[in-house]
Amino acid sequence: MLRLPLAATGVILAALLLYLVLGAMGAERKLAALEPLPPGRADYRITLAFPPERFHQLLLQDQGRLTGVHGNVVDLKDVEPKALRDIARHYWVRAVERGSAP
Amino acid sequence: MSTLPLPLLRAPWLTSRRTRSLARLAKGAAGVVVLLAAWQISVPLVGLGPYFYPAPSDVIAAFGDLIRKGILPAYLGDSVARYVTGLTAGASLGIALGVLIGLNRRASLMLSPLLKFLFAIVEVAWIPIFVVWFGYGVKTIVLALVYVVFFPVLYNTLLGVRTAPQLLVNAVRSLGASRLQALRLVILPSALPGIITGLRVGAGFAFRGLVFAEIVAAKSGIGYLIFEGTESHQTARTIVGMIVMGLLWLGIDQFYLRPLERATIQRWGLTVDAEQRT
Repeated sequence: MLRLPLAATGVILAALLLYLVLGAMGAERKLAALEPLPPGRADYRITLAFPPERFHQLLLQDQGRLTGVHGNVVDLKDVEPKALRDIARHYWVRAVERGSAP
Repeated sequence: MSTLPLPLLRAPWLTSRRTRSLARLAKGAAGVVVLLAAWQISVPLVGLGPYFYPAPSDVIAAFGDLIRKGILPAYLGDSVARYVTGLTAGASLGIALGVLIGLNRRASLMLSPLLKFLFAIVEVAWIPIFVVWFGYGVKTIVLALVYVVFFPVLYNTLLGVRTAPQLLVNAVRSLGASRLQALRLVILPSALPGIITGLRVGAGFAFRGLVFAEIVAAKSGIGYLIFEGTESHQTARTIVGMIVMGLLWLGIDQFYLRPLERATIQRWGLTVDAEQRT
């Protein structure tokens, strides 16, 4: 009787899991050049696949101090390593580089 | 000319359930295609810009853009999480209080006037005060949804509990069942159709409440996308939000609410699905 809701929930959970796994793999790839990440806060340049919109700026502001936007690149300061991994998981983040010193 | 016997004319696959549902699906899809074609053709005839009257191609482009930029998946996730949380909390509260009021006369006398008063205040009126208390964001939206779901579930549960056959309650009690056992074995199963009806009504109300609450008190979610689209002169995004909202409701109804209803209410022959009647 309840096979359909269970199957639908299974499909949703599987898709979510796949999304998370692919995101984590993407983050590994994007941060490979920066490893090992510094233990404390650091500055980074986040390159997106497009000029950031308000949605992306608000999301990045939650993870660090947004100091500038140049085309597709966002300068983000005082970013924790965990926050950087969260940022790199997003599929719309193309690359992450170490930022210039303040 | 000889005529074929009736069983040969009506091949079994023609009347199978799957074929009928496929035919129904094809008819529904044809309706959508006709609507889209009429919409696309009307765009140059109307002659307004994409801000006033975007074409389906603009909407499809906006859909792709929102996916590419990660906005739609994030907003959809936020909306679904808020909806599920609000629905679960509101339904749990409504069922618990409905059973309590239905079984306890003192609780009924104490709470009924207050609940009737609160029922009259629509959730829209609560949202500004929730914003003052909890700020913009998840708490306000979830509270608004809890409020919306709570009343239909409460009143339907109450109705179900009060109409549970007293004869059966007396019968199990006379056989030595405790009050808790009578509740578990007789009252709750009798109230279940009422609870499911309340849940279905509450789920629909919550969906409308979600859009409104996100427009007023959120910076993310499908409701916010609908609002933000017009604010930023991207009407195609607004239409994407509306379409996603509609599809989401269809999915919830088709994959969760209908099967749940079939598994409870229709199973006991209390109602018939509208589609089965036609």
